[in-house]
Amino acid sequence: MTVARAAVNVVRLGRISYRSALKVQQQHIKQHLDSSSTSPNTLLLCEHEPVYTVGIRRAPYPPEEEQRLKALGADFFRTNRGGLVTFHGPGQLVCYPVLNLACFKKSVRWYVCELERTVIKMCSKFGIEASTSPDTGVWVGDNKICALGIHCGRYITSHGLALNCNTDMSWFDNIVPCGIVGKGVTSLSRELGRDVPTEEAVPKLLEAFTEQFNCTLTYN
Amino acid sequence: MAMCAAIRCVSANFSAALPLLTRPAHIRTCQNTLRPNVLRTLYTSSRLSGALKFTDKHEWVRVEGNVGTVGISNFAQEALGDVVYCGLPEVGTKLEQMEEFGALESVKAASELYSPLTGEVTEINTNLADNPGLVNKACYEDGWLIKMTIEKPAELDELMDEASYEKFIKSLDS
Repeated sequence: MTVARAAVNVVRLGRISYRSALKVQQQHIKQHLDSSSTSPNTLLLCEHEPVYTVGIRRAPYPPEEEQRLKALGADFFRTNRGGLVTFHGPGQLVCYPVLNLACFKKSVRWYVCELERTVIKMCSKFGIEASTSPDTGVWVGDNKICALGIHCGRYITSHGLALNCNTDMSWFDNIVPCGIVGKGVTSLSRELGRDVPTEEAVPKLLEAFTEQFNCTLTYN
Repeated sequence: MAMCAAIRCVSANFSAALPLLTRPAHIRTCQNTLRPNVLRTLYTSSRLSGALKFTDKHEWVRVEGNVGTVGISNFAQEALGDVVYCGLPEVGTKLEQMEEFGALESVKAASELYSPLTGEVTEINTNLADNPGLVNKACYEDGWLIKMTIEKPAELDELMDEASYEKFIKSLDS
């Protein structure tokens, strides 16, 4: 008996504010939870204007820290995801899978691991050797190329991953990315020594996602 | 009368000893000598006053008098990974059954917690602030999350007992 592969619908949001992307995610989450409709799993792809975001561990980022970061010209959001502080901005491919883990495996630990493996697979398609470490995320040596932070409620996932393509990396100098002292950040452009725009990363990321999650992608 | 008193003393000592037998560590050492079904009876019956009930979202509640202690199951803590942070409600928070009351963070993932009952939060496990790993290491004991009042005892009947929960999680392995 062949088991049907889960279907995931890809939605390209383009350059969108962080606030708007949160609203889109909430709409998709609501569709999942509203049992009267069979909601498709969705993969949202977008880029944000400069914004710093933090997760549920808020204590390390009091109002003074929020003001400091806003004064640098970025927006600031406190979210319900896991993970510490990170930056999103132009040149960074942000991916928000809003999935029902019941279609895959009901384990948040498994899901995060699969996301990491997806990005590692994508990096290898660029000829970059990436890896995981005890700190969640995808690394090239001691430098993080992709940050991860998710939320899960009733097995519906939101937030996701942020892959540096040709991001202006100086924005990361203003924070301790993901709260990890002593390690750095990198991007596809830095690793390959040439400009790699987010457009170039999209098809490779989607390819890796469909392989790793064993799903079919649809485009509406 | 002296005989009655003696018997009462003996039975009091015996029931005091029973809870010790129910602690998982002791159970494991007994497994070679006791038949499994005898083991289960000992384990379950001695916890009648504090039997665990489970939700389908893998929270458990243990009732002792008017207070329910709430935590997450072994299945849940394994599916989460190492817990690094527990976001718990304030004492006095009123909760409805199935309402979100907090979140646990593991592997950069924040997973919501759902109240098994309707009631008011009377205590939160402050040990989890410095030692969130207790949720993984001792999910049924020192890793408890909150204590709450039980406003609607009938809600307990809707929850799964241990045997039903075991069946439930087996059915999840797909």
